[in-house]
Amino acid sequence: MDGQPLIRLQGISREYRMDAEVVRALRGVDLSIETNEMLAIMGSSGSGKSTLLNILGLLDVPTAGQYWLDGQDVAQLSQSALARVRGRRIGFVFQTFELLPRQTAIRNVELPLIYTGTPQRRQLAIEALERVGLADRMKHRPNEMSGGQRQRVAIARALVQHPAILLADEPTGNLDSRTSEEILDLFETLYGEGQTIVIVTHEAEIAQRCRRIVRLRDGQIESDQRHGDAGKRTAVAGAATGGGGG
Amino acid sequence: MIFFSNAFNALEQLVTHKMRSVLTILAIVIAVTATITVVSVVQGFTRYVSEFLEGLGTNAVFVAPQRPAGEAGKALGRVELDEQDFRAIESQCSALRRVSPLVPREGARVRYGRDEITVSLEGVAPSYHTVRNFPVDLGRPFAIVDVERAQQVCVVGREVLRKLELDEGLVGDSLLLDGRRFRVVGILESKGSFFGQSLDNRVLIPYTTALKMYPVFRRNLILACEAENAEMVPEAKAQITNLLRRRHGLKPYQPDDFIVQTQGEILATFNNVGTAAVSVLAGIVGISLLVGGIGIMNVMLVSVTERTREIGLRKAVGARRRDIMLQFLTEAMTLSLIGGGLGIALGYGLSTLASMHPRMVDVVVPAWAVLLGFGISAGTGVIFGIIPALKAALLNPIDALRHE
Repeated sequence: MDGQPLIRLQGISREYRMDAEVVRALRGVDLSIETNEMLAIMGSSGSGKSTLLNILGLLDVPTAGQYWLDGQDVAQLSQSALARVRGRRIGFVFQTFELLPRQTAIRNVELPLIYTGTPQRRQLAIEALERVGLADRMKHRPNEMSGGQRQRVAIARALVQHPAILLADEPTGNLDSRTSEEILDLFETLYGEGQTIVIVTHEAEIAQRCRRIVRLRDGQIESDQRHGDAGKRTAVAGAATGGGGG
Repeated sequence: MIFFSNAFNALEQLVTHKMRSVLTILAIVIAVTATITVVSVVQGFTRYVSEFLEGLGTNAVFVAPQRPAGEAGKALGRVELDEQDFRAIESQCSALRRVSPLVPREGARVRYGRDEITVSLEGVAPSYHTVRNFPVDLGRPFAIVDVERAQQVCVVGREVLRKLELDEGLVGDSLLLDGRRFRVVGILESKGSFFGQSLDNRVLIPYTTALKMYPVFRRNLILACEAENAEMVPEAKAQITNLLRRRHGLKPYQPDDFIVQTQGEILATFNNVGTAAVSVLAGIVGISLLVGGIGIMNVMLVSVTERTREIGLRKAVGARRRDIMLQFLTEAMTLSLIGGGLGIALGYGLSTLASMHPRMVDVVVPAWAVLLGFGISAGTGVIFGIIPALKAALLNPIDALRHE
């Protein structure tokens, strides 16, 4: 990606039609994300942060604006090319985990590999589960696991294809604080290994652990702050005065 | 590679959703089994009766006295058919080959030693063997001389032997018919049974002897006639009608005081009944298909929400539309094939079982019933399995995931 950002958004808007009313979830968002960034998108509920993440994850389509992923304008991609990008380049982690309830952890993690026709799915799934520290829970079904373990399975599923970018929508929203801590530690480890991560959250403590914080308000970027690598594990709130703007 | 992993994935889904799979299969099995069983039993039944009636000879014509309905009937004097009518028909109707009087005496008592049974006793002429296709396979049939002299001889059916626990040595022996001693001269070839009623529980005696025993039939004969060939049947009917009207002195405005019924008409009457039965059963089959179809729809549609979310997730992790469709098509087709296969096997099994019952006929399973039952239930399964999946696959992944 020489000189070219991993992700570039320009003038992204998203409108929903609800009965007669038009809801403008995003109003002209411009954003660039480089490889190996760890970025938090913050905002109150209704600020459009989840919509933005869904668009980044190609789960939703903007009403206006352009989105380049790896320098490719995604609006030009066919449905099956989009599916391919979702499968290979993007790992998505949902607040509600979204695991297939009747399948074992290993089956859930294998799922993306089915659609890329990857051989040795089992081996790759085992490796991904080991990365998230669930080597001993592979044969368990979601209802036999704790929330934190389920979210780890979901993260393993997102990682199994070695995606260019990991997107997490309120990944700790359904977890208690101790488990949340574990998940955030896991994200930091992954970041340390070179993984690009975008986390949507409304909790300041979580955002503080990211290198960059983008704040949304009413569908627009309110601020975009970076803080140095110095404060890696214990980022101090307010101390960071990275490149502002937005 | 992707194809097989998709298909395998679909089969895995069927196993993990056991209840849904079993219910769908059950609905298809019921629909297919019901269709096949009902249709094949009715068809076998109809065919059996038709063949049986045709086996009695389509050339047969029966004449019996009958008072017409209504005022016209009341105005007529005596309604009768006697031996003179018989002679006249025998000699004057050129379209007929043979005629035999028939004195029907139901419930005659047959006694041999201490055993007594009840049979259908028929007073007939020698030609009756040919007209009704009742040949003798042991001993001899009636001779003309038996009739002329009103001999006390009889020909018995196989069922009579069986009931009296006698063997063929009975020929030449004698037994008591309604208290009179008759010599057995022959045994009728077995005709089997019809609707569970044995056709061999029958004793034939010369009609002249029968008329002596039961004089009430002297003016109340039935005539069993055989036309020259099938084409001559209408002509024979016309000849008999003209002759009897003339002999009975009926005026043009008066209705017939007798009935001429051809085998073809009996067959047609039966076929009407058969058609009615088929219609009623078609309704039942339709209902079972409907119930099965609704069952399938229900199972498929109930799981739409769950499955829509599943589709959203699958798309989010890289499934293309065609992957989704392939998965759901495989699921629906597998269920339909398993259900249809079981249904067909069960339908055949029940039909065969029905055939084994001694009072049941040989059942034939028509291909169209199999196709109908299978087509409708499998079609419902596939359509209602695919349409929700197709709708979900066309949504943005996030909309499918957030489906409520």
